[in-house]
Amino acid sequence: MIVLAIDTATRRVGCALGTADGLLGEIALGHAGKATAPRHTEQLTPAIETLCAQTGVSLRDVGAIAVSIGPGMFTGLRVGVVTAKALAHALAVPVVAVPTLDLVAWPLRYARHACVVPLIDARRNEVYCAWYRPVPGGVQRDGDYQLLTPDDVAAELTARRELALVCGDGALRFAAAFEGDDLVELAGPDHAAPSLAALVDLACARAARGDVCAPADVVPMYLRRSDAELALEARS
Amino acid sequence: MTAQHQLVLAFETSCDETAAALVADGTMVRSSVVATQTARHAPFGGVVPEVASRAHVELLDEVLVQALGEAGATLADVDVFAAAHGPGLSGALLVGVSAAKALALALERPYVGVHHHEAHMCAARLEAPDLAPPFVTLVVSGGHTLIAHTTAPGRHEVLGQTVDDAAGEAFDKVARLLGLGYPGGPAIDELAGRVAADAVRFTPPMLDDGLDFSFSGLKTAVLRHHREHPDRPVADVAAGFQRAVVQVLVTKLMRAAAATGAPTVVIGGGVAANSALRAAVVEAADAAGLRAVVPSRALCTDNAAMVAVAAHERLALDGPTPLDDGVYPNLPLSTLNP
Ligand SMILES: [Zn+2]
Repeated sequence: MIVLAIDTATRRVGCALGTADGLLGEIALGHAGKATAPRHTEQLTPAIETLCAQTGVSLRDVGAIAVSIGPGMFTGLRVGVVTAKALAHALAVPVVAVPTLDLVAWPLRYARHACVVPLIDARRNEVYCAWYRPVPGGVQRDGDYQLLTPDDVAAELTARRELALVCGDGALRFAAAFEGDDLVELAGPDHAAPSLAALVDLACARAARGDVCAPADVVPMYLRRSDAELALEARS
Repeated sequence: MTAQHQLVLAFETSCDETAAALVADGTMVRSSVVATQTARHAPFGGVVPEVASRAHVELLDEVLVQALGEAGATLADVDVFAAAHGPGLSGALLVGVSAAKALALALERPYVGVHHHEAHMCAARLEAPDLAPPFVTLVVSGGHTLIAHTTAPGRHEVLGQTVDDAAGEAFDKVARLLGLGYPGGPAIDELAGRVAADAVRFTPPMLDDGLDFSFSGLKTAVLRHHREHPDRPVADVAAGFQRAVVQVLVTKLMRAAAATGAPTVVIGGGVAANSALRAAVVEAADAAGLRAVVPSRALCTDNAAMVAVAAHERLALDGPTPLDDGVYPNLPLSTLNP
């Protein structure tokens, strides 16, 4: 089965086509850095169109839409999730919704570290993060998806006293927070962005298990409430 | 797709209504579904962009499936996919735009991005199929207040607009300070309908002055009056405020018609659902020997049927919109003119 994978959870716009045997092709535009304004709305549909044309895959041959649901940049998430929903309606195929932090951790499943900790920059000096343990055949998440400050993450790592691999764009951005902790290693820029290959891998495995959902059931994972809701709650 | 039977599926997500509609040939509404978010914004006393954007994503599938169901159509029957792409809240607009573009891509059909104000102007045509340029339209809502002269299909000249608040915004703010809750328009309309409108008088702002509008001074005048006369019945104050707004809106619409020689006046936008405004426009047009086109309330407030009508016309005029098109929070109406 061919999966169309969409990740727009960071400033990068990415899509890929693949099967359980691997990628047929991928397009990644922009990057997780801040050099250019993100153009999710403009770029995603043309990128999918180009990807199909260049891989010779018709969208009618796609058996499932995989989408990275966050946490991440709100605007990007909405473009990706809505595009996935609409494609699923149009092609009458299911959606596989995959949390974005899983896509940063998965490529590091062979790491020899006790834990892999992806950090996605949430701005305002905060990161989205989760703890994963490499296990045979993959990574196992240990605990919830969280919104923390880099210092909170560093303190937690220090308290755990085990060899940790910190990755994602948040690891690059807040590298200073982890200096001086000999048990913490930082993955490089290759592991800054969510992996489209991981999205295809994980989605194929899930689809094979029947772990899919209807388009209406796909919602972005925001982790952070709107400022207006937080302000309203603070007043009452 | 044949020229006779072009089925357009449109989305409208520019503010706080999530809407989808199917319209055939730009004239026949097969379905028009609007999921309102009013209750989600009520605790904040106004539309919160992030709350609206999240709600659009949640409500999208529901309005799409319902619109198709009510029309008895499938996505494969649709010839054109459209969405309002501006002006409006950018995080909200991109929901409808992303959905329409993805559907267009998957089903190999054209996508058309539509100007929200042009859509309001097109709404009238659904009930007045013979409506043809030249005409002047008053588009008035919580987000916009403008008068435009449509000289030819798709060709609009903006004659006047608000220099500060939109009229609907003034309704909301006045309702809040009178303790009438949110949204303010329907509350004031209902209350004002029960009393004589001249117990409390406010000066209609910029009445004798061109075709632009200003509402922030009127809002301040109501606030001052309410503080100085706390015992005055709220209904009287609401009626006085509404009367001033209606008077200035109608005066300028008629002035625009006189200045352009247009034989027809049209209204649209959420505030065009106001009873007093609707009655006053009809009365003024009658007196001046002009035709007034006052669409039903459901076509005045934000809906996707109007977007579908505008898309039908735009496709014929300009062809499809490229898939790398985006959203335009501040799109001026003048950009539509060739
Ligand atoms: Zn509107």
